[in-house]
Amino acid sequence: MAKPTSDDIKTLIEQFEQSDWKEVHVKTDSFELYLSENPKSSGPPSAVTPQLTAATSQTIDSADTIPSAAEPTPEASKAILPEGMTAVTAPNLGTFYSAPKPGAPPYVEVGQNVSAETEVCLIEVMKLFTPVKAGVSGVVREICVSDGQMVEYEQLLVVIEPS
Amino acid sequence: MTIKRVFVANRGEIAVRIIRAAHALGIEVVQGVSLADRDSMAPKLADRDVVIGPAQSKDSYLDVRTVVHAAKSTGCDALHPGYGFLSERAELARVCLEEGIIFVGPQAQVIEDLGDKLRAREIAEGSGIASVPGSGHIESPAAALVAANEIGFPVVMKASAGGGGRGMFVARSSDDITESFERASGEALEAFGDGTLYLERYIENARHVEVQIAGDGQGNAVHFGERDCSVQRRYQKVVEEAPCVLMSDPLRKKLHKAAVKLVSSLNYSNVGTVEFLFDVERDEFYFIEVNTRIQVEHPVTEQVTGYDLVQMQFRLAAQEENALPAQEAISISRHAIECRLNAEDAYNNFAPSPGRITEWGPSQGAGIRVDSHCYTGYLVPPFYDSMIGKIVVTGPDRLSTVHRLQTALADFRIEGLVCNLPLLREIVAHPDFEGNNFHTRWLEQDMLPAFELAKK
Repeated sequence: MAKPTSDDIKTLIEQFEQSDWKEVHVKTDSFELYLSENPKSSGPPSAVTPQLTAATSQTIDSADTIPSAAEPTPEASKAILPEGMTAVTAPNLGTFYSAPKPGAPPYVEVGQNVSAETEVCLIEVMKLFTPVKAGVSGVVREICVSDGQMVEYEQLLVVIEPS
Repeated sequence: MTIKRVFVANRGEIAVRIIRAAHALGIEVVQGVSLADRDSMAPKLADRDVVIGPAQSKDSYLDVRTVVHAAKSTGCDALHPGYGFLSERAELARVCLEEGIIFVGPQAQVIEDLGDKLRAREIAEGSGIASVPGSGHIESPAAALVAANEIGFPVVMKASAGGGGRGMFVARSSDDITESFERASGEALEAFGDGTLYLERYIENARHVEVQIAGDGQGNAVHFGERDCSVQRRYQKVVEEAPCVLMSDPLRKKLHKAAVKLVSSLNYSNVGTVEFLFDVERDEFYFIEVNTRIQVEHPVTEQVTGYDLVQMQFRLAAQEENALPAQEAISISRHAIECRLNAEDAYNNFAPSPGRITEWGPSQGAGIRVDSHCYTGYLVPPFYDSMIGKIVVTGPDRLSTVHRLQTALADFRIEGLVCNLPLLREIVAHPDFEGNNFHTRWLEQDMLPAFELAKK
C-alpha cells in the first residue's frame, strides 16, 4: 500500500479541526494516524469501527498524485504570515470596523502594544457587532483590512508580533 | 425588476446547477462556501466566492444573517437558496425582503403556512383535496373498531407520540382490531412512554406521486405534469421518474387540477411541488405536503417538458413578463428516470462513505444527463448530505428508458470511494422495476432484503 503524502495528512488534520469530532483514527498496512481533541488522550481504542477505517484509509491510499483539497487561498490563510508573527483572524463573515464608531480613533494602530484582552476591531453581521480581541500580547505589525470592508470567515485581520 | 447578480446559498450539485442557469441568463454569481467547500466545483464556476463560515452547516449554510450579510456586501440583488439548508425557512425570505434582496422562491408567508403540516392540510382541504382518511386519538379497542368501520378496512394503528415506523400495526378486518390495538399501544407505550394511538386508512399499494407547479404570485399557476418517486428508503427518494404511467388519464387530469388549484389559492410565486399518495387499488390520491423550493428530482420534469425550471425560478423572481408559460404550451412527450448517487455503502447498512474520488467517469451518450459537482480528485467532505450526483436518462417511453438507464449505470465509473452504484444497478435491472410493479415500501420490504441476502 502506498504511503500518504504530507498534504494528505495536512488535509486530514484540517478536516478534523473543522469538524465537531472528538477523535479520528486512521490505520492502513503501513501507516497509522490518531487525532484527538483531548490532550490527555491515551491513544486510539483497540476496537475501531470498521467502516470508518475502511473509508478513510482508502482516501489516503489513492491520493498520492492528487493535489490537496484544502490548499489555502491567500486571503484567508495563516500561511503567508512572516515567521514569528501571530494572526488575528475573522471569527465569522461580516463587515470589518477598525473603530468603535465612525470618526472615532481606531482600536489599534501599527506599532502599538497590545495585551491578549485588547480589542482590535469589530465585526458586524446584520447590525450585530462582535468585538475581536488580540488573543496575544505583543506589538501590532500590520492591519490587513480597511474600515468598512467585508471579511470572510477566518480572513487575516491583524498581524501581531508576540512579545 | 431585473436580477444582475445572485448569491448562491447552497453547495454541491444544486449550486452548480444554479450557477449554470444564472450564467445562461447573463446573471453574475457570488457563491457562498464553507471552509470545507472552498475547493469544490461551485466556487470554480462562480464569478466570485466568499467563505461564509466553518465546515459545520449550522455556522455557515444554515446561518440566515451571515448569508444575507454576505449577499448584501458583495452587491447581490438576489439570493437563491437551492434545496435543503435554508430553502424552506420563512425567516430567510423575510430578511431578504427587508434588506431589498430578491428571494428566489415563494413569499415568506406561503413558506410558513405550507411548512406547518396541519395548516397545509387545511389549505389542501380548502381546495377540495383530501388527506389520508384518519381518526382522532383512540384509547380503547372499542373506539378503534368504531373508527375503523368509518374509515374502511384495512387500517393502520399508529402511535400519536411517535414516528419512524414504531408502534404501527395493520388491522385487515374487525377480527384483528383488538390484537392490533394491544400490540400497537404496548409498543407505543414502550417506545414513547405514551400508548395513545390514532388510525389511518392503510394503503397497500401506494405510489408517491407529485406535481411540479409554478406560479407568478398573481394567482396564476401552471403544472408541468407529475413525477413518480416511489422507490424510497426511509422516506428518502432513490429513483424518480416522469410521468407516472400507472395513472389513468382522468385521474391524472384531476391530480394536476387539484395541485394548480391549491397553489393558485395562495397566489403562489415561483416553483414548487405538491406531493400526493396515490392509492392504486382505489384509484384515488391523498395530499401529503407542498415543497416550496426546487426539488432534487426536478431534472426528470425538465427532460420530459423541455423547460428549464431553475432559469424559470429566476425569471419568476424577477417578475419578468411571460415568465410563466401558458398551460397549453406545456406538453409531456417523453419518459425520464433519475437515480441519486450517494456516497454510502449499501452493503454496510448505508454507512456514509466520504473520501477522495480517484476516478470520476460519468456515463455519456444520447439521452443521458449527469448533474454533479464531482470530478477526479475531489474530496467528498464528511460534513454534508451524501449525494454526489444524479444520473438522468430520457427516452421515448418507460421501457426503453429503463433499458437505457441499465446501460448508463453499467458504464458509470466511480473509483476511490464507496457509493450506491451497485445497488442502483440492481434496482433498475429488477423485474419489478422494469415491469413497473412496485410501491413505496417495495425497496425496503422486498428488494433490499433480497439484495442483502445475495451479497452473502
